[in-house]
Amino acid sequence: MIQLKNVSFQYDETQTSSLQHISCQIPDGQCVLLCGESGCGKTTLTRLINGLIPHYYEGNLQGEVVVNGLDVLTAELYETAKLVGSVFQNPRSQFFCVDTTSEIAFGCENMGLPEPEIRTRIQNTVQQLNIQQLLDRDIFELSGGEKQKVACASVSAFQPEVFVLDEPTSNLDVTAIEDLKQVIRLWKAKGKTIVIAEHRLYWLMDVCDRVLYLKDGQIASDMPVEQFRALPSEKIVEMGLRALQLELPARKLPPVSAETIQLRDFSFSYDAEPILRIPTLTLPKGGIIAVIGHNGAGKSTFTHCLCGLEPRFKGYAVIDGRMLRRKALLREGYLVMQDVNHQLFCESVEEEVRLGMRKENEPRVTEVLRQMDLLNLTDRHPMSLSGGQKQRAAIASAILSNKSLLVFDEPTSGLDRRHMEQTGALISTLQGNKTVLIVTHDLELIAQCCTHVLYLEHGSVKECCPLDEEGFQKVQSFFGATPDCSIVSEEEIK
Amino acid sequence: MLSGMFQASIKNRGLILDPRTKFLLLFTMSIFVLGGAGGNITSYLMPVFCAVPAIALFSAKRIKPAIVYLLLFSGAILTTYFFAGRTHGLAHFLIIGICGILSRFLPCIMMGTYLISTTTVSEFTAAMQRLHFSEKIIIPLSVMFRFFPTVFDEFRSINMAMKMRGIQFGGVGAAKMIEYRLVPLMTCCVKIGEELSAAALTRGLGGEVKRTNICKIGFHLQDYLVLSLCVIPYLLLVLRCFGLFA
Repeated sequence: MIQLKNVSFQYDETQTSSLQHISCQIPDGQCVLLCGESGCGKTTLTRLINGLIPHYYEGNLQGEVVVNGLDVLTAELYETAKLVGSVFQNPRSQFFCVDTTSEIAFGCENMGLPEPEIRTRIQNTVQQLNIQQLLDRDIFELSGGEKQKVACASVSAFQPEVFVLDEPTSNLDVTAIEDLKQVIRLWKAKGKTIVIAEHRLYWLMDVCDRVLYLKDGQIASDMPVEQFRALPSEKIVEMGLRALQLELPARKLPPVSAETIQLRDFSFSYDAEPILRIPTLTLPKGGIIAVIGHNGAGKSTFTHCLCGLEPRFKGYAVIDGRMLRRKALLREGYLVMQDVNHQLFCESVEEEVRLGMRKENEPRVTEVLRQMDLLNLTDRHPMSLSGGQKQRAAIASAILSNKSLLVFDEPTSGLDRRHMEQTGALISTLQGNKTVLIVTHDLELIAQCCTHVLYLEHGSVKECCPLDEEGFQKVQSFFGATPDCSIVSEEEIK
Repeated sequence: MLSGMFQASIKNRGLILDPRTKFLLLFTMSIFVLGGAGGNITSYLMPVFCAVPAIALFSAKRIKPAIVYLLLFSGAILTTYFFAGRTHGLAHFLIIGICGILSRFLPCIMMGTYLISTTTVSEFTAAMQRLHFSEKIIIPLSVMFRFFPTVFDEFRSINMAMKMRGIQFGGVGAAKMIEYRLVPLMTCCVKIGEELSAAALTRGLGGEVKRTNICKIGFHLQDYLVLSLCVIPYLLLVLRCFGLFA
């Protein structure tokens, strides 16, 4: 049982309070979804339950948090850790070890369990989650979905009573989300209490029991999932939440020019195993192309080749009758990375967008800054901006350096509805002037702004078509793909 | 490439040495190869020590660094041998200086690379525990160990971003180049470090109970061979103190 009594919290570095007067009770065995717009306090609430607040993130705290009889606010973190297991958003930064087996053992080792006991627990966990093939692997070689499974296994192994997940699907594709859902079902079947903070909601509708909707640091509504599911979709939009199901209407496509970009010989391999094999491909010039496919299908290698970032890449592209090899592609292409922090270098936004700018674009600076809604931020340090603002600064600098090919890598992962729509609208404004490719697992974004889809599988093009009724059907069937039911069913555990 | 160099891979480990053996080897090499302790009496052993990193790297299937090391090292030795006596003035000093630095530093650098690239975090912690180091030292050190691959990963992404923006040495100054690289690198590392610590803490790191470690480390035949090799120069040193070689 998790009890929160009149909890208020404010981080030290912020001016406004993150949570105000939160009171709620979560009985044992319940699966609770925390939802709401970015900054509503979901993550803060999860941190209160796993004790990271106040022991790691400091701030002004009032109230009482009790998990299974343990006062989390005064207990040491390692005491709470025995009761509460946490899975985080970013698979890159939640692993302590470099190989999977030691990672799964990590929590048990910290508790000082005897070695034979740990080995049995690893075996049991691995069997239950059906991840035998992931034992003794190098964590850096795993896909995002596999990493998240190992993270779940690692938490599962030390057998906590409560599981807290903070946006666990931000970096996952459809199949991996389906697998995660099975893991949660398994925990539920064992009677564990589960709290999930999440933006993507559709996958949780038949897993969770109760929905807490937070707004401005308060619980704005608290309802059983049946009632939540019955809310009309306009209401969901008004609440700023993502869609509850993935049945979206196809939109009417804006006209697209008939000009094309030809790609030739897009093949690449790191070792003997080829990762990309695309002998020839035609893309619409000025279109907004969604690049979809499972983790490991070669999407990022494809985009790296297209932007001229792979030193050994030998293929070429034909744009406007010009043949562009790697060096030329490097001048034409621009990749807006998932972690946009990697590509902001300067001390102010103004300096940032001027870096690498073509001289003839000097008069356009103000115009582009206004278009990107950055005009009142020109003196700010880029690192002090919000995620969306950073993204816009990166796009502004790409426009000013006359790049004609823009590639976005997962631009909306971990974004709420409002920010997702903002990014979508921003990308839409580029249509016609730039050729845009978006690598994404986000069907809602595709439905909002893409004109074409490129479906990669095992390094080859499976489908490349405009997103008319028929094309959109195909995309939907990809996202509704039946999962491989690899995880042991609930009956078998009982 | 860079990240590959520093990333402990659990495959391709080849000849498995206990982390403690690797530490002693690195320590001994730093004293006798880099530091030049022992002077004449240990000089016959030095070629053997210099060959160890190459053998170790070959056995770990890191062929390219091993070959580069061998070429550079033997190049430095041969250059000193053939040209040091025949040149004068500035050229002489340059040759002696560069080759001397290469032949002394390289073996230790390569040994360090080998150590980092073939030891996993849990092996490292296990070894430190067996050596009875305090947890207060082990935990920060193991975090550091875990951090190398991440830093190089970040570094690569930043490099890519710089290439796309056309930031090159020609265009901006060297100072700017360093700044452009370090600012995003530091921001990213701070963020990752913070998330990493949070994740580790929620899994009970830093508790009062003694940590167990399921990692199997221990000495094998190859360890005893290397260990006895390491003992020789110290022995010689001690014997000299007793005036054996006087």
